[in-house]
Amino acid sequence: MAGRRGRPERPFLVAGAVTAALLVVLLYYPVASVLVEAIFEDGQPTLSPLLDVLADPFYWDLFGFTAYQATLSTLLSLALGLPGAYVLARYGFPGRRTVQSLTLVPFVLPSIMVAVGFAAMFGTNGPLNQALAGLGLPKLELMFTLKIIVLAHAFYNAPLVARIVAAAWQSVDARTVETARSLGASPRRAFRDVVVPQLAPAVLTSALLVFIFTFMSFPIVLALGGLELATVEVWLYDRIRTLRLQEAAALAVLEAIITLGLTYAYLHYETAQAASGGVAPRPPARKRLFAKLDAKRLAIAGYAVVIAVVFVGPIVSMLLASVTDLDGSLSLRYYEFLLARRDVVVGTQPDVAIRNSLVFAVGAVALAVPMGVVVSLATARDTLTARVVGTLAMLPFAVSGIVVGFGLLQTVVFGVEVAGLRIQVTGAVAIVAAHAVGAYPFVVRTVAPALSSMDDSLVESSRALGASRTRALLDIELPLVAPAVAAGAAFAFAISIGEFNATIVLVEGGGSYTMPVAVERYLAERTLGPATAMGSVLLLVTGVSFVVIERVGGYGGFER
Amino acid sequence: MKRRTFIAGVGAGVTATAGCLGYQQEPGDGVVTVATYDSFVDGEEPVGPWLKERFEAQRDDDVTIEFQVPEAGVNQYIQRAKQDAPIEADLYVGLNVDELIRIDDELDSALFDSLSGQLERSDRVLDELRFDPDGRAVPYDTGYISLVYDEEEVEPETFEDLTAERNRGDLIVQNAQQSDPGRAFLLWTIHEFGADGYLDYWQDLQDNDVRVLGSWDDAYNAYLEEEAPMVVSYSTDQVYYGDTPRHQVGFLNDQGYANPEGMARFADADDPDATVDLMEFMLTPEAQGEIAQRNVQFPAVDDAELDEEFSQFAHVPPEPVTFSYDELAGNLDGWVEDWARQVAQ
Repeated sequence: MAGRRGRPERPFLVAGAVTAALLVVLLYYPVASVLVEAIFEDGQPTLSPLLDVLADPFYWDLFGFTAYQATLSTLLSLALGLPGAYVLARYGFPGRRTVQSLTLVPFVLPSIMVAVGFAAMFGTNGPLNQALAGLGLPKLELMFTLKIIVLAHAFYNAPLVARIVAAAWQSVDARTVETARSLGASPRRAFRDVVVPQLAPAVLTSALLVFIFTFMSFPIVLALGGLELATVEVWLYDRIRTLRLQEAAALAVLEAIITLGLTYAYLHYETAQAASGGVAPRPPARKRLFAKLDAKRLAIAGYAVVIAVVFVGPIVSMLLASVTDLDGSLSLRYYEFLLARRDVVVGTQPDVAIRNSLVFAVGAVALAVPMGVVVSLATARDTLTARVVGTLAMLPFAVSGIVVGFGLLQTVVFGVEVAGLRIQVTGAVAIVAAHAVGAYPFVVRTVAPALSSMDDSLVESSRALGASRTRALLDIELPLVAPAVAAGAAFAFAISIGEFNATIVLVEGGGSYTMPVAVERYLAERTLGPATAMGSVLLLVTGVSFVVIERVGGYGGFER
Repeated sequence: MKRRTFIAGVGAGVTATAGCLGYQQEPGDGVVTVATYDSFVDGEEPVGPWLKERFEAQRDDDVTIEFQVPEAGVNQYIQRAKQDAPIEADLYVGLNVDELIRIDDELDSALFDSLSGQLERSDRVLDELRFDPDGRAVPYDTGYISLVYDEEEVEPETFEDLTAERNRGDLIVQNAQQSDPGRAFLLWTIHEFGADGYLDYWQDLQDNDVRVLGSWDDAYNAYLEEEAPMVVSYSTDQVYYGDTPRHQVGFLNDQGYANPEGMARFADADDPDATVDLMEFMLTPEAQGEIAQRNVQFPAVDDAELDEEFSQFAHVPPEPVTFSYDELAGNLDGWVEDWARQVAQ
């Protein structure tokens, strides 16, 4: 965990040790406790669980279909996200920063809420089909098809693409484009030869993330598509639930091999790419969106309509569900229900959930950002070790959330006997630590490329002038990559707010529940009202938080 | 009683220690900790808070009820027992027969007590609801799985109606792997067509475009959005919606699949006496009425105090059917697995 030059100093060692300890306790050990079932039987090493799965044609089909839908989901997420990145990076318009902040919102919405919104928006009698019918067009049969699953995956992931790529776009050095233009390149040629190579790592990062997320998708698949469209994760969930742990472990191992393999390949590419890039001293100027009307701006208007249908539509539908009574009339009684729940002795109180979510998220950011920076430093150079460490550090992405949750449950939640004592990690601080472990890879993925593309001579000069390694990091490197750190922090906050699997395991019926947990718990019988009301509160609180974070935290060099 | 002293985590580092300190809730005697599911304690008018208030009020000692809602349900306790981890709960509320089978498959030691003789009111429980041959799980309510349908569009009366061409794409069911009503509906078809014939029937259902969604919420929400005119649900549906055209209850072949829910005392309960007292209380006519109405299920006794309205809108099938513990043990997993593979293919 040393810096890139010289012997490690104490602050690096301490930060490295704490990071490693957290990862071992809250990630590697719990996950290993599940995966070990795949390679050990009665204490003897064995390959039979893995071979059983590999010998079963059913699983080949299952993995094949899972990869197929993830590919489609990734392509659609890119198709919907890249134009958004372009608009955010290249155009100025009122509310641009707010829109940029709100790109994190879909990320934190519980899947049940998204399913409700999608069923309402895209269903047989939804607004989309009513609009089509009004225009004399045939209705779209989207529900229970692969199409709606892919669309729902894009709802979650296209904003992620837009966010990551827009950040990269804003750090493209305008002077490189100007140089190309002055040498006679057409705007198109300059874009292709100068801008595209600088955006490629960001596009690939986001595509890789989307592929991995949608490869491991499960509640959306079952809610909107059904068992006919089952993914690997659907099967894995069932194996865990019915305690067929060997088969679950075998599936999880195969799943992790695929996703970790992708991560490794990507890291190789990213580091190589980043070496040629640089931190933009001068980002390109933004054009005004509402100026003249031309072909580009018309296309953007068309894009805005698509965004309204795909992103705003389901969210508005969900909000409407929270104010619609059983008989279809408007009613605020579900919000009155939430107010009344503030005083209950038994059960989940909305204000406690809001407070917990915000406190945990702040804590998760405080832990995940240093962790992410430490791992970024350790993996910034392009060596085999750095790539292996970097890949392992990405484990929270690559391992099924179900496996992590189950592993946490049977290790740290239950407690582990060490020398006759039962050591147990539960409660609020454990949730914060688990959120930080889930979030720090996002910090790494935003900070590492920026760090590795920095000119080493800057650090070397400061060292030559007598600065300690730590001092050089704090005074030279971190300020230069501040925008990336801020972006990573915003991600960490969002991950913490939206995290569900580990939280609900660690809460264990106690008082540390969060907003997504509350949404799940309010899914009362025969009415979605209380859950959608709580979901709307979650939407409001997180939306406001994201806007505040980015206004206060700023985007460093991006926003002047 | 096997209760261990908790020691703050040393090896797990500073955070772990602090995490432990946040969770020092040593349950002493006089607390009945009830493990149950979400809707028992949360949502609109849940029965949990009512039970706590009434039970505590009618006693002259300081016994209190606390609730736990483990996400993994009874699995949480199976795993704990397997790993010799302490069990913090005294009573489990919401046990199904299939969970009981899983407990018996997975564990050699007893997770729950057999209460024969200790629970006076257990005689009051209707015979047809008893599902535990060993007398550990005591039924406290039951649901009947049925169809809910829109009478302006369909009129399902038999299993054959569901595979008829005129009802193509009209039925939504739940995933039997993870949903109670979904599994009950699957078992109902096995009850009707036999272990050798149910997959053929399901092939016909699939050919007729049946939709197998995830949970009851997923399926019912799709039904409310009018994606299909029939959904598998409970025969108490009209308690919420009244006798409307969109909420008719259909008993296929005049049957409904009974799915009784039980409560069971953990073998190492901290306060076994108070736990039995609570179980007795839950079987009184007053509590049975409240449990049924707030849980929107049927009571487990025949003298529950029910509102007129509930009795009017909750329908009992002419012929309740169900599988016994012995019929399911050893078969259930294979039936569900074969079915799931066929659907997912």
